Amino acid sequence: MTVRSAPVTGVPRTAELDWAAWMLGIAVVVIALVFLVYPLVNAMLLAFVKNGEDAGGSGLTFANFARFFTAASYQRALWNSVYSGLAATALATVIALPMAYAVARTEIPHRGLISAMTVVPLISPPFIGAYAWIILLGKNGTVTQWLHALTGWTLPTIYGPPGVILALALSYFPYIFLIVQGALAAADPHVEEAARMAGASRARILRTITLPLVFPAIGAAMLIVFIKSIGDFGVPSILGGEFQVLPTLIYYQIHGYFNLNAASAIAMVNVLLTLVAMAALSWIHRHRNFATIGGTSHAAARHSGKSARVFGNVYCWLVILIAILPQLVIALASFARRWPGTMLPESYTLDHYRAVWSQLTSPIANSLVLAGAATALCIVFGTVTAYASARDRLRARWALDLTIMLPFVLPGLVVGVAYLTAFNSGPLVLTGTALIIVLAYFTRRVAFIFRSVATAIGQIDPKLEDASTICGAGWGTTMRCVLVPLAAPAILAGAILVFSTLIGEISATVLLYSAKWKTISIAIYELVLGDQLAQASAIGTITTVMTLFLVLVASRLAGKNMAELFR
Amino acid sequence: MAHAALSVRNLAKEFAVGAGKVVAVDGVSFDVRGGEFFTMLGPSGCGKTTTLRVIAGLEQATRGEITIDGRDFMAVPPQLRNIGMVFQSYALFPHLTIFENVAYGLRLRKLPAGEIDRRVASTLALLQLEPYAARHPSGLSGGQQQRVSIARALVYEPTMLLLDEPLANLDAKLRVMMREEIRALQRRLGITTLYVTHDQEEATAVSDRLAVFDRGRLIQLGTPEEIYARPQTLFVADFIGRANFLPARLVVRGSPSSGVALPNGASLRPERVVRLDGAEAAALPATDDGTVMIRPEHVALDPKEGDIACRVQRMQLLGGLIRYSVRADASPADILVEVTRPLPGIAEGSGAFLRIPAADAVLYHR
Repeated sequence: MTVRSAPVTGVPRTAELDWAAWMLGIAVVVIALVFLVYPLVNAMLLAFVKNGEDAGGSGLTFANFARFFTAASYQRALWNSVYSGLAATALATVIALPMAYAVARTEIPHRGLISAMTVVPLISPPFIGAYAWIILLGKNGTVTQWLHALTGWTLPTIYGPPGVILALALSYFPYIFLIVQGALAAADPHVEEAARMAGASRARILRTITLPLVFPAIGAAMLIVFIKSIGDFGVPSILGGEFQVLPTLIYYQIHGYFNLNAASAIAMVNVLLTLVAMAALSWIHRHRNFATIGGTSHAAARHSGKSARVFGNVYCWLVILIAILPQLVIALASFARRWPGTMLPESYTLDHYRAVWSQLTSPIANSLVLAGAATALCIVFGTVTAYASARDRLRARWALDLTIMLPFVLPGLVVGVAYLTAFNSGPLVLTGTALIIVLAYFTRRVAFIFRSVATAIGQIDPKLEDASTICGAGWGTTMRCVLVPLAAPAILAGAILVFSTLIGEISATVLLYSAKWKTISIAIYELVLGDQLAQASAIGTITTVMTLFLVLVASRLAGKNMAELFR
Repeated sequence: MAHAALSVRNLAKEFAVGAGKVVAVDGVSFDVRGGEFFTMLGPSGCGKTTTLRVIAGLEQATRGEITIDGRDFMAVPPQLRNIGMVFQSYALFPHLTIFENVAYGLRLRKLPAGEIDRRVASTLALLQLEPYAARHPSGLSGGQQQRVSIARALVYEPTMLLLDEPLANLDAKLRVMMREEIRALQRRLGITTLYVTHDQEEATAVSDRLAVFDRGRLIQLGTPEEIYARPQTLFVADFIGRANFLPARLVVRGSPSSGVALPNGASLRPERVVRLDGAEAAALPATDDGTVMIRPEHVALDPKEGDIACRVQRMQLLGGLIRYSVRADASPADILVEVTRPLPGIAEGSGAFLRIPAADAVLYHR
């Protein structure tokens, strides 16, 4: 370089204005306001307006909420929601805690596999598993008949609270397992080691140190299970029978009376329950603020004794067996020609799959299209907002975080109600279209991508963007050439997670679908209601297998195991 | 083009923090001549990196002007300023090969592929990086990554080269080696270079001129020799090299040239006298009129004769240097004496005498 040739053009030829940044920024704000903020605020307002009138009219009223004091059905629904939610949470906790301890703190083999298998109930829509319980424990159920033949004892009916609570607990206990197991594994071992040196027995350490230190994690996990249980529509609608809960009440208000105001009010009460639970949790933990994640390189000691291992193994695999039993039963039912209540089907056939293939290609295609479109929207919106949040470019970052995360924690039915009420009339009418479903999906799931991409971007050195800029790149080029390639695994993993969990989405879909846009979950739902369980099983099995495969791919791309994706 | 002259006038940068603000750079002005190796030096938080980033365009100045060869630079967005920058963390693109890392700036300038190949190859050769062209940054050592960072900055022949503490992440020996390489490279290319560091030894070793920063202000600007020999404030005297500070009282009130009395009674008439400004003057103890600064290598230590009696506390062997720490009434802190050969008759614990040559002493007074 001592002989200077003709000078380099010096300055990059195209002066890139940062219009890309401006356009995206404006689009994001518009989308956020119109499709995230507006529906929820509107639904809130509608709850305070009498049915048939509009918000500006005779002013706000508590009439819709008054039903909770006057109508017995409302009171029962509220009580049932609370009762089943608490019971399901308690049962899920009882199931999950020993398992979490076993995997985190004992030397049982195949710990990774156990964790991976617990993901299965999470990704198959709960209501698909719900009717598996009918097959097993219903009036003519396999286990029912087998038990009767063996002991002469008739099982109580599966319909009603017991079935609902059991199905909910088995669907959502993995959240408690994954979170508590993670907390136990990451906890600073020094505290327990100090206790051992002081002479405490293993049991005492467990009771007085280990468990109390992971209380915050247990509490948070229980809260998640409670929120999901009181917001679940599929299970109580199939297994509930006469047992009404708030989500089924919302459904009937809309499909029966088309009373959006009443539905909104009920949804608000559902949200209120959630807030009460969150407040109760933080009150319980008000005096606990200790950090247990230390900076050590070694994990806590594991029980290596034979009895601990045997016990742990038996328990974990038993729980997993029970947890994936619904999926196995469904798979079996999908191949059964006749299954009149014997242990195993009488004969097998592929007829159900053939029927599904010929008749139900439309719902499958619809699900793929709607989930795909929503995923694409999530990717663009989620990545841009994750960047803005991670790089702290905004004054009101908290507002953005809240706008994105709030719909994620709300029950799907509440989001469905919000969209129904927001876009049923007024300036933007979208009911009955594909767009409203796509947008509701987007609202419910964008937080997945937002969170994983924000984390990924947080780990990318901001100086990389500076270096790219100094070399001559505008903001758009820097995003394209540096940030997106580096965040790609996180984006992809989030996208696959979004796509795969949207395929089986029912809670919002059931309020927003139209005849032209039936999805897989609606098809299954209708088949179950029409007592065509075999075909429902076929399509349900396809869904579960497809989703499981996609989640596996996502976890490989993200470089994590499946369990970590859901934490 | 590479000999660009930079001019900074009254540069100020404030950051909003919570309800208030932090003044990172407070009215800084200086000129950098074309082809000069100019270093901004100071402790952390002094504003040197912020100043560099404002010049790069990565931060917006609150006030001030920056001109390059007479043209206003402030209005130019950072990606159009045609400067090269090297970061402390190297900031290499991990998903690209070394070749692509270096080629990045050229690709943005839409050069033909053959031209890009040629220029990248010659730049890699300049920095002895040819064998690593196909590797990714994670496969290189820290020193190699730093060289790639330099190559990426130089390949498109920028008007100026900016370096932000580029050697801080390297181990000590590598740091010394790399700073000489950077210096040699700069000499060879003649490119105007702005260097930021907190390591005063590094700064004095490589710079043509250096600017000492403290708390957002430029305290003193000059060649390394000037700054070492004639520091204008106590801060600069203490920051560059090592210094002994002896409390002093003026012999004749109000007359600094009349000489001073040290706490042990000895008198001294320092050749150089510097007046302290507000903050440093106010920080002097009320009983003192000033401070006498003398560098350790100028203090004479003798077992038998001298002005100040002392006791040797410690003798440190530092390779080519021997440092004695002695305690005397003349100063509350130990006085440091540095020599290249051990002094006969002086060991730890022994009594000795100090002599302070007036020619090398500096008096800083109110």
